[in-house]
Amino acid sequence: MAASSAAAPPGFSRILLSRPSTVVALAVFVVIAAACLFLPALGLVAPGGMSVRSRLTPPGPEYWMGADAFGRDVLARLLIAGRASLTIGLGVAVVSSVIGIAIGLVAGFFRQLDAPLSRLIDAMMAFPDILLALSLVAIFGGTMLNVILALSIVYAPRIGRIVRASTLVIRELPYVEAARALGTRTPTIMWTHVLRNIMSPILVQATFIFAYAMLAEAGLSFLGVGVDPSTPTWGIMVNEGRQFIDNAFFLILFPGLGIALSVLSLQLVGDGLRDALDPKLAKDT
Amino acid sequence: MTSYLLRRLVGMIVVIFLVLTIAFILVRLAPGDPAALMLGPDATPEEVVALRARLGLDQPIVAQYLSFLGNVLRGDLGQSLFFNLPVTDVLASRAEPTIFLALFSLIFALVIATPIGIYAAYRHGSAVDQTSISSAMLAASVPSFLTGLIFQRYLATDLGWFPASGYGGPDADFLDRMGYLILPSITLGITNSALILRFTRASMLDILGEDYVRTARAKGMSETRVILRHALKNAGIPIITVVGLTFALLVSGAVVTERVFNLPGLGNLVVNAVLRRDYPVIQGTLIVVATLYVLVNLLTDLLYLTVDKRVKY
Amino acid sequence: MSNKLNLLNLSTAAILAGSPLLAAGTIDVAIIGEPDTFDPMVSTKDVVSIVTQHFVETLYTFDESWSVVPLLAAAMPEIGEDGLTYTIPLREGVTFHDGSSMDSADVVASVERWLDVASRGMAIADRVESVEATGPSEVTVTLTEPYAPLLSLFAFSNSAAAIYPEEIVAPQIETVIGTGPYRLEAHEPDRYTQLVRFEDYTQPEGAAAREQIPDEIRFVPVPDTNTRVEGLLSGQFAFADSLPTEAFDRIEESDAAEPVLLEPFGWPIFAVNHKQGLLTDLDIRKAVQAALPYDDMLFAAFGDDRFFQTEGALYPEGWTWHTEAGTELYNINDQEEAAGYLEEADYDGTPLRILTSRQYEFHYQMAEVAQMALEMAGFTVEMAVVDWATLAQNRDNPELWDIYITHAPFLPEPALISTLFATSREGWDNPKKNEILDRFTSESDPEARLEIFAELQEIAYEDVGFIKVGNFNALQGQARGMTGVAPSPWPTFWNAEIAQ
Repeated sequence: MAASSAAAPPGFSRILLSRPSTVVALAVFVVIAAACLFLPALGLVAPGGMSVRSRLTPPGPEYWMGADAFGRDVLARLLIAGRASLTIGLGVAVVSSVIGIAIGLVAGFFRQLDAPLSRLIDAMMAFPDILLALSLVAIFGGTMLNVILALSIVYAPRIGRIVRASTLVIRELPYVEAARALGTRTPTIMWTHVLRNIMSPILVQATFIFAYAMLAEAGLSFLGVGVDPSTPTWGIMVNEGRQFIDNAFFLILFPGLGIALSVLSLQLVGDGLRDALDPKLAKDT
Repeated sequence: MTSYLLRRLVGMIVVIFLVLTIAFILVRLAPGDPAALMLGPDATPEEVVALRARLGLDQPIVAQYLSFLGNVLRGDLGQSLFFNLPVTDVLASRAEPTIFLALFSLIFALVIATPIGIYAAYRHGSAVDQTSISSAMLAASVPSFLTGLIFQRYLATDLGWFPASGYGGPDADFLDRMGYLILPSITLGITNSALILRFTRASMLDILGEDYVRTARAKGMSETRVILRHALKNAGIPIITVVGLTFALLVSGAVVTERVFNLPGLGNLVVNAVLRRDYPVIQGTLIVVATLYVLVNLLTDLLYLTVDKRVKY
Repeated sequence: MSNKLNLLNLSTAAILAGSPLLAAGTIDVAIIGEPDTFDPMVSTKDVVSIVTQHFVETLYTFDESWSVVPLLAAAMPEIGEDGLTYTIPLREGVTFHDGSSMDSADVVASVERWLDVASRGMAIADRVESVEATGPSEVTVTLTEPYAPLLSLFAFSNSAAAIYPEEIVAPQIETVIGTGPYRLEAHEPDRYTQLVRFEDYTQPEGAAAREQIPDEIRFVPVPDTNTRVEGLLSGQFAFADSLPTEAFDRIEESDAAEPVLLEPFGWPIFAVNHKQGLLTDLDIRKAVQAALPYDDMLFAAFGDDRFFQTEGALYPEGWTWHTEAGTELYNINDQEEAAGYLEEADYDGTPLRILTSRQYEFHYQMAEVAQMALEMAGFTVEMAVVDWATLAQNRDNPELWDIYITHAPFLPEPALISTLFATSREGWDNPKKNEILDRFTSESDPEARLEIFAELQEIAYEDVGFIKVGNFNALQGQARGMTGVAPSPWPTFWNAEIAQ
């Protein structure tokens, strides 16, 4: 079943795009990501300095989204912070996929390593995400890289589990057996036959991890053990805005919307991807 | 069946052993000498050496690891640096709010999400379905501390419907204390209901596609009866599965929720332990929570086995 | 809020919370964290002082105008002609919570322990020759050289010279026993500390009466600032410490609570590393001093000039210790002048490392603004924003920082400002300053001490011993209509009364 879905049926993108919610979600996410990535880079939005006297200016013609406690432009900061938040989400999605794929492939391919690696995956999954990330960040310090690594360790087992299950199925397929009989080396088989075929379910899962990681980052910032505030993230901005909930609600509103919209659109895209790939898969993951 | 049980039990023991190992390694990776950390900046080098010896930190790492395992098996999770109490005592005194918070929010989420999920599946593709699924997703997309803050601000402080924070004073009896958990449970329940709703809906969609349902329909059974009979009959399975699935989610959520509402539970404890660098407490919490998770999952698997005769192992 | 809602309020609160708010005899106080010890000798944390001052007492204390008055002592000491012997008469009939009565042996054992384990005691231990019982109710402290601030140290609740029964005195005290108007009844870590009225309490003669109005005082640790505000406004707490100034208007508009502004409360400090690194060079210190935009830093941190004053004097106007000496170097806010100093120092771009934490948001906010101005002056700035535990650990290692940010309340006696001493972690060891400080602590004439203090303040500016950012007001909140709690960094609740 995995093979049939994974062979990227020709109608894949058509099915994916046939759902209006998926299309809208994808568009929203692309717009957010592009704005965060390109607007500051092209210098269209300048981070601007502090102008303490304009502290907490509400949104208006001068500051479209208002000014924060330092009189910094919230819009510019929102975009810069968005880049950091999205980097964390993407970083976690990529790193946890890489780790998960490695563990899953090895477990699925080498029978004698399957049991120990599967137990390791079970053990890792037994630690709740925030709890483990909290401990890791506390121990190693709150840099962006550490937050990405900590959350990747948290989410990698989920990928590992899927990859292992799919690998177990694929390695028994006739053409893989044939390749093996022809003397193709195991890494080559892993690469050309297995990995290519399981890319889609990994992509689905990675999309969700992207979303969860962004939420987890916000949670860590709230608990006071997130990223160092010299690189602002949306989580940090929301948390900084908390004390101004009465005087300047916009300080929470915009970064809060940034998180909610990104996470929502990512989940919708993930759902769309999953349904487009194989409705049956929705049950397993 | 027996051999399956045996296999599961052995697997579980191995997993718990790995959990312990990971927790041991994690805390060992922390920078700084735990003995120096415990004694504070004014300690003399001699005091540090003496404490290292007392804690067994001067032993080779393997010996330390073995004695750690031995201690844990005997139920000794070490001594809290901050409270100067055994970690097990500290954890035990914090378990109540967390257990009931998790329980109430799970009940809240199930009560809200299961009927909506079943109905959404029944009216698959309808406006109701679309609305419920998208609001569930939206609820799951907002950081839970934000939901909590807003609830606390408006429902507790302004309207006075709930206590704003805490877990009651010395004269609060059990019922009073549970009163403090209502708003936190709703906050946490909302996030979790999203997952349960989606899960119930997906399972129902499956069931509705099964042959026997089609047969029932073909036989002219009314839609309501089809839904009620088969939904109720099969509702047990998603509920069991979801309990296992959301356990980790509940604990993670509890960390943030307990912080917002200042509940003296395990989640708040671990955050404080992190801020106080109380490594034995961090380690102890990780061990207890992870072990609970493993047990809950074993339990749900076993329940599965008894509820669903179709599942074969 | 309408009456109807209020009714609903009460009934729900009664159902949900067992109506503890209506139990008139109980005062619930929200504090910023869990006290890590009930032994105030070994701690300098304000939460420890706030809680423990209700159940342990010292020989002397401060009255509302910050003058030293007797508490467990029967009167002010008799000080020898040479200023070296302090003969302290003790009150008779004072009972400890364990039922034993206090005598000179208890006081000697306690003061000796204080000299051994308390940071403020250890700092003067080498000036104390002996602590002796010269009668059942009399203690004599003999010094090796005059030390005028001694009584202030005996009166201070922070690193306090607390008096314990001789029997429990040990390097580590498990269960603290005091003589205070309240005794420790129960302690659930992270949940509450419950104090109940001590029935055998005898009133002090010098200090104001401890009326023991509440039956119970409960201290509830609420680490999150917002949660403290919500708890106060919803009527859960009769008092909440350390609130964000942003909440002032909301508290003022509330029916349940009213704001308490400590005006001025204290001063944010940029502590300077004199032991090693960049700031051991006077020119670079001067560059920092000249570059900082004090006004903007205070404004960013406190938002409204109701909550801060841009003032360089170490003690605000109205205090005895107030003097303008040296303050022309305060608030220069001239980055070009700073650049000039950097040039003289041949500054090579070595990063200036600022260590701060978000435990107190205003520390971080001041650091952010400072960083911008310092960079404009030509500094390379490296800011480390860590949690408080890390900061408390790292600041003890002079290799890790050049400036760390802290704050202090205005202390009743300048000699309590630890950063003035060369032995402090900042290590400000200027010979001229040391000489002034020695004169200051051994002079007993109040007028002469004021003049020496002016010299001290002047050299603090000239040598940039530390940087005072300004004065700030602290916001606390209390139940509307509550009386009997005098505004203080360490508020006391024995006279607290909530109007019904």
